Amino acid sequence: MWGLDKTRKTASHRLARGRGWIQAGAALLTNLHLPNFFKGSLYQGAGKTVCVPGLNCYSCPAAAGTCPIGAFQAVVGSSKFCFSYYITGILILFGVLLGRFICGFLCPFGWFQELLHKLPVPKRSTKKLRPLTYLKYAVLLGMVFLLPAFLVNDVGMGDPFFCKYLCPQGVLEGAIPLSLVNSGIRAALGKLFTWKLAILLTVAGLSAVFYRPFCKWLCPLGAFYALFNRVSLLQMKVDSGRCVSCGKCVRVCKMDVDVTKTPNHTECIRCGMCVSACPTGAVCFRFGLGDETKSTKKTTMEEST
Amino acid sequence: MKRKQLTALLLAALMVLALAACGAKGDNKTDGSGGAVQTEDAAATYKSLTERENELLSEHTDLWDKVFLAADKGSAMIEDGTNYGDFLLNTIESAKDQFTEDELALLKKSAQEIREIEDKLTELEAQHPELPDGATNGNSDVEKFPSFEGKDLDGNAVKSDELFSANAVTVVNFWFTTCNPCVGELSQLDALNQELAKKGGALIGINTFTLDGDEAAIAEAKEVLAKKGATYQNVYFDSNGEAGKFITNIFAYPTTYVVDRNGNLVGEPIVGAITEPKQAETLQALIDQAIAADQG
Repeated sequence: MWGLDKTRKTASHRLARGRGWIQAGAALLTNLHLPNFFKGSLYQGAGKTVCVPGLNCYSCPAAAGTCPIGAFQAVVGSSKFCFSYYITGILILFGVLLGRFICGFLCPFGWFQELLHKLPVPKRSTKKLRPLTYLKYAVLLGMVFLLPAFLVNDVGMGDPFFCKYLCPQGVLEGAIPLSLVNSGIRAALGKLFTWKLAILLTVAGLSAVFYRPFCKWLCPLGAFYALFNRVSLLQMKVDSGRCVSCGKCVRVCKMDVDVTKTPNHTECIRCGMCVSACPTGAVCFRFGLGDETKSTKKTTMEEST
Repeated sequence: MKRKQLTALLLAALMVLALAACGAKGDNKTDGSGGAVQTEDAAATYKSLTERENELLSEHTDLWDKVFLAADKGSAMIEDGTNYGDFLLNTIESAKDQFTEDELALLKKSAQEIREIEDKLTELEAQHPELPDGATNGNSDVEKFPSFEGKDLDGNAVKSDELFSANAVTVVNFWFTTCNPCVGELSQLDALNQELAKKGGALIGINTFTLDGDEAAIAEAKEVLAKKGATYQNVYFDSNGEAGKFITNIFAYPTTYVVDRNGNLVGEPIVGAITEPKQAETLQALIDQAIAADQG
């Protein structure tokens, strides 16, 4: 079946093809402390002082690190600090290195949605829902920054609005496993849990029909990394010399991006489906400082994984 | 393509299995049985039945209060061995003109469930005569609040034994300074402390940031307490001690424990702020239970 591909087994192709495994590996590494699921306890060691790149709840029993979005809100909403410089710095570093490659390869919640998308139900395109993609920037600005920072109580503390009212990953990884094992937490579940469970179920249901609805429309972390797609060291490159304008890359793209026109579009999660689809091997990943003329270079791929 | 699908299928199966494993384990713990010893199972069943009954009675307190008011004259019935559920049903029937149809239906349904629970309890008691004591007073598996020797935020020495034995009930609230819901309930906790003082009880706070006497954390905690007008005692101790290790198993804040005069935990810890009615009611019920046990 792969006989024809012999000529184009580049690093980019291998990376694109191994994506499912990388996602699984990343989800596992992000949630390394698996026995905690059974104990109903949280890992609280040194790892929790570091942010993971993807959206992964701090309160997941197995979580090895902190969710950058959760940490950002906790710091910005605390009475002690005005702004989360340290976490913003880490987010910028992740963004500059990888951009939304993190969404495509490393984010456990992105993987979760993709697995649900494999369910055999009729699929719908999200092309016509493009305006909704701007919603995630509003979530980032409003729920992650402005509301926690400025809607404060008498002692200067704000609520982590995104975590508290919107994030389905918190319910999936935190509330559900913890409440299954911990009766105290189970007893504390109230209206807020019901609301967020409804969000989770909605996102899960939509994920079966649409490709990654949460990433496209709501995720503030994706929104942040999207701003860095244009400048990140990891980029998509299209060799115009090899491109035969067949349009396969556009048709195969589930994030509604035309890689030939806008290879570094904010919606591109670097999943590499276009890389695999391209019959001439014109599309590839590139990592490093940009040099347009050497666009077919296939080096340094390993650094990004 | 086939390989990809197969991989996806395998991974999905793995996830489902992982979740299933979680669920099974969780359910085991719910029962609180753990061991295979029959008495323990029976005790667990007994406990959960009793809890369910209390839950039913605490669901619509206002309605039940009316029922109990109507029952005053015939209260001797409770002691004579009649099923408590029957007693409730009779009382509801005799006072039915005080309720709407919906309320009646609700009360009767609850009373019927209580009757079934009581039947089961009686059966269990027959098989395991030691049960009622164990389940109500918690003698069978009492859990002690971990002992500590520490200081309050003003530097006065505090010993857990002395603290608990001096009070009919001690409410212990775990919080930390940057926890919004924790800070949100401080003034309510202060009011509760004043109320408890009248009944020979007390409330203390344990701010997890102040453990080991971190001075900056103590100053911040004091500032927040002052802003919220909370004057009750806040205590810290060594994080390596028994109580310090106990804290590493608290994953949700605020968490509030009720401790009786003997230093035993009363009921399950209350997770979440008592500014929520549900938490406040549960806490009050445990306090009342501890005070009643202390007097009785």
